[in-house]
Amino acid sequence: MKHKIRFTINGEVKEMEVQPNKTLLKMLREDLDLIGAKEGCGAGECGACTVLVDNEPVNSCLMLAVEADGKEILTIEGLSDDINLDSIQESFLKHNAIQCGYCTPGMVMSAKALLNRNPHPTEEDVKEALAGNLCRCTGYQRIINAVLDVAKKGGKK
Amino acid sequence: MKEFEYLKPDSIKETISILSQFGEKAQILNGGTDLIVDMRDKIIQPEYLVDIKAIPQLNRITYNKQDGLNIGATVTLNEISNSKVVQTNYPILVKACKTVGSYQVRNRATLVGNICNASPAADTAPPLLVLEAKVNIIGPTGEKIVPINQFFTGVKKNILKKGEIVTSITIPPIKDKWTGVYLKQGRKKEVDLATVGVAVVCIRDEVRIALGAVAPVPVRAFKTEELLKGKTIDESLLEKAGKSALTEISPISDVRSSQEYREEIIKVLVRRAILQAKGGHIL
Repeated sequence: MKHKIRFTINGEVKEMEVQPNKTLLKMLREDLDLIGAKEGCGAGECGACTVLVDNEPVNSCLMLAVEADGKEILTIEGLSDDINLDSIQESFLKHNAIQCGYCTPGMVMSAKALLNRNPHPTEEDVKEALAGNLCRCTGYQRIINAVLDVAKKGGKK
Repeated sequence: MKEFEYLKPDSIKETISILSQFGEKAQILNGGTDLIVDMRDKIIQPEYLVDIKAIPQLNRITYNKQDGLNIGATVTLNEISNSKVVQTNYPILVKACKTVGSYQVRNRATLVGNICNASPAADTAPPLLVLEAKVNIIGPTGEKIVPINQFFTGVKKNILKKGEIVTSITIPPIKDKWTGVYLKQGRKKEVDLATVGVAVVCIRDEVRIALGAVAPVPVRAFKTEELLKGKTIDESLLEKAGKSALTEISPISDVRSSQEYREEIIKVLVRRAILQAKGGHIL
């Protein structure tokens, strides 16, 4: 039986009918065409599917779409305003913190959540916040530098 | 993932009635960080999924000096780590919660879920064992309180019967001054299951020790505790404690470690945890 849910996605209120056995990640990618969040492991270990639910980062592969009822969801697509990138995205570009890009949306969303709750993180704080996001090509130093640089500038570009 | 019916009761009473009616066909959905993976892998295929996150009284942390700390079933590990009362009164629990999975996982995963899942490697189990936590259960026949060391019955098995649900975990107050540590050995620093986990709490002349990932269930090392009680901790006693701990466990070889490595590291961690809890140096 399908369930009717109502939630906010990237600032827009949406109502949908979803099958209970669909994950939030599948709903985002297949029904809403928001393909920034990726499925890497599907088991909560790689973080490529990270989105913010009520401002907190979660693995969207470990959450059912029906559980999104009443929640506010922010994906990588909701960060920019179509013209300007978010300061974290700009910083990733500046620091070459991207190689293949598969992990990047998850990394950026985890960083976004970190800077929301802690605008002045230490390097250790950044490592803890990004520990659930695996990157298999760049290594992590440029990513960490990118996040620390945004924090240093107080979120400005 | 197989199809199922999703139910979201808003009371404990309704939850018990659903669980009683559907028995084995129903599964409680809490944080879902273990369950959804098992459902995806078709290890668990419930016909009814009962989401308990809409039940208001399950989402509370309360603390007072008389009753101690009470953590509701749907309180997440990050909510516990961020709680001032837990940070102030039970830092050992914060430490253990922070070693579970990643920050994202801890935003969904719960303490009660970690316990109900009953993995031998559950990071929160050893601290709860040394804190002598009580598991509060409600079922069709009423309420009961079970000491945490009687809750686990085997690998991924607990004492819950048909229709029963864990509503919260209580950590009784400790009147005397005490110190506690949780040490975890994993293959890497972050986001890994425990190869071995050791919790130690020192209260006056008492030393409590609990061991994770080295037996079918997380265990208290009562014999080793008896060995240490009232004694001055010195080098030879620490060595005896490590060897004694070995006699209280039955580690296996698996993907994370060999049996031999677990046996070696348990001696090291027991010793280190006692020393740290006693305020000594790490040798």
